[in-house]
Amino acid sequence: MSAYLGQIRAIVWKDLLLELRTRERVVAMGAFAVLAAVLFNYSIDRTVVQPQDIGAGLIWMTIVFGGLLGVGRTFHLEAEDGAFRGVLMSPVPKDAVFLGKMLSNFVLLYVVSLLVVAVFMLFFGMELGTSPAVLGLVLALGALGFVALGTLFAAVSAGTRMGETLLPILIFPVLIPMVVYGAGATGRLLAGRPVSEVVGNIRMLAAFALMAVAVGAVLFRFVVED
Amino acid sequence: MKAMKKLRIVALPLLVLLFAATDLGAQLPGNQMATQSLRAYWHVFIAYAVAIVMVLGWVVSIARRLARVEAQLGE
Amino acid sequence: MSGKGIRSTGTALAVLGLVGMLLVYSLSFFWVATDRLQGVSQRIFYIHVPAAWTCFLAFGIAALTSGMYLWLRDERLDRAAVCAAEGGMIFGAIMLTTGPLWGAIAWNTYWNWEPRLVLTLLLWFIFLGYFMVRTSTEDPEKGKRFAAVVAIVGALLIPLIHLSVTWFRDVPQFLHPQPVVVKPEGPTLDGDMLTVLLTSLGVFTTLFFGLFLLRYALETLRAEVQARAREATA
Repeated sequence: MSAYLGQIRAIVWKDLLLELRTRERVVAMGAFAVLAAVLFNYSIDRTVVQPQDIGAGLIWMTIVFGGLLGVGRTFHLEAEDGAFRGVLMSPVPKDAVFLGKMLSNFVLLYVVSLLVVAVFMLFFGMELGTSPAVLGLVLALGALGFVALGTLFAAVSAGTRMGETLLPILIFPVLIPMVVYGAGATGRLLAGRPVSEVVGNIRMLAAFALMAVAVGAVLFRFVVED
Repeated sequence: MKAMKKLRIVALPLLVLLFAATDLGAQLPGNQMATQSLRAYWHVFIAYAVAIVMVLGWVVSIARRLARVEAQLGE
Repeated sequence: MSGKGIRSTGTALAVLGLVGMLLVYSLSFFWVATDRLQGVSQRIFYIHVPAAWTCFLAFGIAALTSGMYLWLRDERLDRAAVCAAEGGMIFGAIMLTTGPLWGAIAWNTYWNWEPRLVLTLLLWFIFLGYFMVRTSTEDPEKGKRFAAVVAIVGALLIPLIHLSVTWFRDVPQFLHPQPVVVKPEGPTLDGDMLTVLLTSLGVFTTLFFGLFLLRYALETLRAEVQARAREATA
């Protein structure tokens, strides 16, 4: 068991270290978050609707689109120079590879989602609402579900001619629960509703995340086998 | 067969345009009562037409592909 | 079933289905009465509901055979999956166009995020992804595997999607008609209407299976062509 976890940790560490050194994806996703918020500001007519009213939805859509940017590049490095062959031929079990990749994606996306919330608070004068800690949990669960499915479908789309263009088509339909429960909970928390009202949403988000991780871990081997 | 294809390409948008025109015509005040029920008939007609067209479309598509494959096997 | 057997059964069922469709159309227009409440637009019901049922049946078969294909690696399972998926797209398209056409008249709105329509729309796009993935891989064997994965993910997550979409309903009283046939107290639909509906259901199912078998025969022949091509180059 500890060998297995060690393998996962090795992959997570490798990817995060690479990301720390190159800062490619985090800069791209971070810049996207800020610029998207700017565009949103100019796309909303304040005489018709207040940004605070739709803030939760905008936050989650920004996280989704920004997340796509990052997750699509998951296997980019491995695709070059046939590095993926090397990863697959190593004795590491395929689901460990998946979990490792998924967790490094998770760290990246979670940091970016926190940034998104901060940016929206700054630009639109939104408050943190009832409980920042619970909000943090909601974001974490949503991000986990997203990266699980995203990593799986990133592997699929990397093996096709269309590449990252295919990713939104594959992932959006199955992302509905995350958006429904995540944005629903976020909206209520930001509006100052009590935490008891979002407990149901959090449970469903957790179920979604769990299912996504399980499905991804089980099916990944079929995507990457020779 | 090319003529049939062209006919289909023309007929369907024409149908949609006709239906849209009736829909818009129904917005005119005096027309409301009379065109309300006419619009319903249009919708029913188009719904039934869509079903048949899609089913037959699939039939034709399968038939054409079968013919092509059989020709390939015959070689 | 042998190749010839599949084709003749398929043709027989398809012809039966097409004739049946004519029957249903006649029954719907000339025999059954107009609904008192909704008027003539209610007749779309006799096409919309069977199309929905067939669509879900088809996609269900596609997902199931995809799962079994990944497990057993029998090519025939993958062939069945792609044929069923194609049928699902066709009948799904019928359901998704007849639904709004009916809604525009009966409830004055083309689209109101009714969970069943949304679910069908999503399934349709999931299987659009299925076909896109299948056709855009260099290696066709990889394409089949990828497509199967897409189908399985979709099938596994559909229940959760259904829950979320239903929970999201912001309209307290939903416009989509409540089930009239499959109710615990038994069907409440008028006798004649029930007859037409059930006939239509039977007809659509027969039609689907007939065309499914023909499509399957096509897929088998295609595989033979590919096998011969491989032998020729070997």
